[in-house]
Amino acid sequence: MRISRTWSTVLFLPFLICFLLFLVIPLAFGIYISFHQWSIFAGNGGFVGFDNYISILTPGTVFGDAFYNGLKNTLIFVAISVIPLVLISLALALLVNSIPKKFKVFYRTVFFISYAVSVTAVSAIFKWLFTGNGGYVNNVLNNFGIGSFNWLNDQPLAWIAILIATVWWTIGFNMILFINALDEVDENLYEAASLDGAGAWQQFRHITFPSIKGVFVFLTIITVIASFNLYGQTLLITAGGPGQSTQSLIMVIQQMVFSQNNLGIASAMAMAMGTVMVAIVAAQYFYSFRKQ
Amino acid sequence: MKKMLLAVVLISVMILAACGGGADSETADGKTKITFINGFTGGDGDFMKKITDGFNESQDQYVVEESQEKDHYTKFKTGNYDLVVIHTDMLETFKQDGMIKDISSALETAEISMDDFHPAAQEYVTFDDGVFAVPLDIHPLTMFYNKKLASEPPATYEDLMALSKKLNGDDPNLFATGIPSAGLAEWFIMTIAAQNNIDLVEDDHMNLAQEELADALMIYHDMVFKDKISPPGLGLDGEFQAFMKQVEEGNSAVQTATSLTGPWYYAAVKEAYGEDLGIASIPQLGDQKGVYGAGHTLALPSSVNDEDKMAGIAEFLKYMYQPENLANWAESGQAPTHIPTMELVEGDVEKYPLSAQNIQQFDSFVGAPKLYQYREQVRYLVENVYPQIISEEGMTKEKLMGELEKATEQSKQVAETAPQ
Repeated sequence: MRISRTWSTVLFLPFLICFLLFLVIPLAFGIYISFHQWSIFAGNGGFVGFDNYISILTPGTVFGDAFYNGLKNTLIFVAISVIPLVLISLALALLVNSIPKKFKVFYRTVFFISYAVSVTAVSAIFKWLFTGNGGYVNNVLNNFGIGSFNWLNDQPLAWIAILIATVWWTIGFNMILFINALDEVDENLYEAASLDGAGAWQQFRHITFPSIKGVFVFLTIITVIASFNLYGQTLLITAGGPGQSTQSLIMVIQQMVFSQNNLGIASAMAMAMGTVMVAIVAAQYFYSFRKQ
Repeated sequence: MKKMLLAVVLISVMILAACGGGADSETADGKTKITFINGFTGGDGDFMKKITDGFNESQDQYVVEESQEKDHYTKFKTGNYDLVVIHTDMLETFKQDGMIKDISSALETAEISMDDFHPAAQEYVTFDDGVFAVPLDIHPLTMFYNKKLASEPPATYEDLMALSKKLNGDDPNLFATGIPSAGLAEWFIMTIAAQNNIDLVEDDHMNLAQEELADALMIYHDMVFKDKISPPGLGLDGEFQAFMKQVEEGNSAVQTATSLTGPWYYAAVKEAYGEDLGIASIPQLGDQKGVYGAGHTLALPSSVNDEDKMAGIAEFLKYMYQPENLANWAESGQAPTHIPTMELVEGDVEKYPLSAQNIQQFDSFVGAPKLYQYREQVRYLVENVYPQIISEEGMTKEKLMGELEKATEQSKQVAETAPQ
């Protein structure tokens, strides 16, 4: 069935309109605002060139300190979260792949269901679990004679708590993508390899991993982006504490908009954040595909 | 060609459907509509609704449509409302940003005078160029205590020490009170500043780099690490949680006999302790009595110009400030600052236990300074400096002074963002 040119344009139009309205125009407008002094109440206060960017990039100023603190905390979280999120989901996928077929669907669902829960519910659960004063985790540790920890008020315990909550919450999504990728690998290759005497690790290293490499790189990139967008967990579990040490960059931007009413600074921060993310993801991309 | 036309029509319809319609200022039966927004999403919301519904039923010229929203400030900034509840520490900011206007004429029509209010309340709604809100209530830091653990509410630092010693002896996980590192941090800071009579304002910003303030804040440090009045490691809302916990065998929980916390926890603590719950004024930890807290006010948005609406708002205020109507607000546990209503409340302590108790704290109440973006000015102090005092045993006065200087610098920079 050939689709007429007219009809295909029509079907494409809604997406194009939404793309323009909700992505391109706000992005362009955001860049425009970042070069102005712009208050939520007073509106456009005039063109200020790069002043906003200079403010946020100058350490020792209130905006610069907030920006660097947010960026530093976000980068810490990206550094500690990407590896577990990718490797644990890969391990889970390999595990689920190797169990008998009749249990596969059940376990796939079980591990994925946590992804369907909202960040608010997840945060409420883990906040309750990790409460320092008589929280569930501390009670269990106490019973084993290990003693209690001040999870949410001490570093690096707070980051560990946030990390555990995030891994539990989002691991299912990565796992499903890996499972799909693993399904694509040709069974015959494994048979041939085992005939040649290859062990499990060698099979993984020489057959499985090269076959799923594309998905692996893709997942690493989207995990980095997702970790950069850390907001809900740190807002609801630790409220940016202890001592602003889990205040992510998006939290800072949100404060700039809704508390300080300063859209110019907030837009400059958002643009700077976007630039950092693009740089990191581009580096990842070129590193992974440099041979190709 | 026809298909193209159809497509364009469909898409235009889709876009137009996404745009909302405008608000109307009249209901179907010709009454003037007044939109009222507040953040009362907790138990007290029901009591404000009672007042609003009562007003709507009492006359047929105006209808007040009340919205209770979690992020009501955001909604207010981006929407169009006729009456808004603003916390006392935000009034200066909204006034300087031109979001609210003088409410004196409405008060005159409603036959409400500033003299009808407690002086503490008059203070924060009155500015050089007019009255910019009408006071609703003050909610100060409140002490709840467990009568089983503390037969008398501790009134001084020494009382707390004695109580803690006794409780610690019974069980190492029992303490007199809890000092949290986050949540009500700002209230704790400002309370001890008030009790030590420290003036924190310089021109348009906070002057925090004062030795007296460092000394005052180290009192909390001593309470945790030196005199063991409070357990260490209490975090966000830790003072409330520790009060609610029960110390049990093999459990890692710590429990406190008293809690210096927000009065909004009344329902929860009442349910947990019932007859064993006591309510009292907070103890004197510093040189004199003093307590900090917040308060609610009703303010008039600058966008309201319609004469009909103004008249309706005046009528609503007149109704609300009849003691028998405002008493509903006291029933929620809030402490109204309207003197005739205060007298009604104090005359029936059985019915309004929390309200009557907190009214007693009005005389020593010190509110937020009238500074532009006050909450942002103290953000570094509250979120970064204060937790260090409560959590780090090695915190010294010298280190604290360094941090207070940084906090003052940040406060100055925020103050500079004020509209000129």
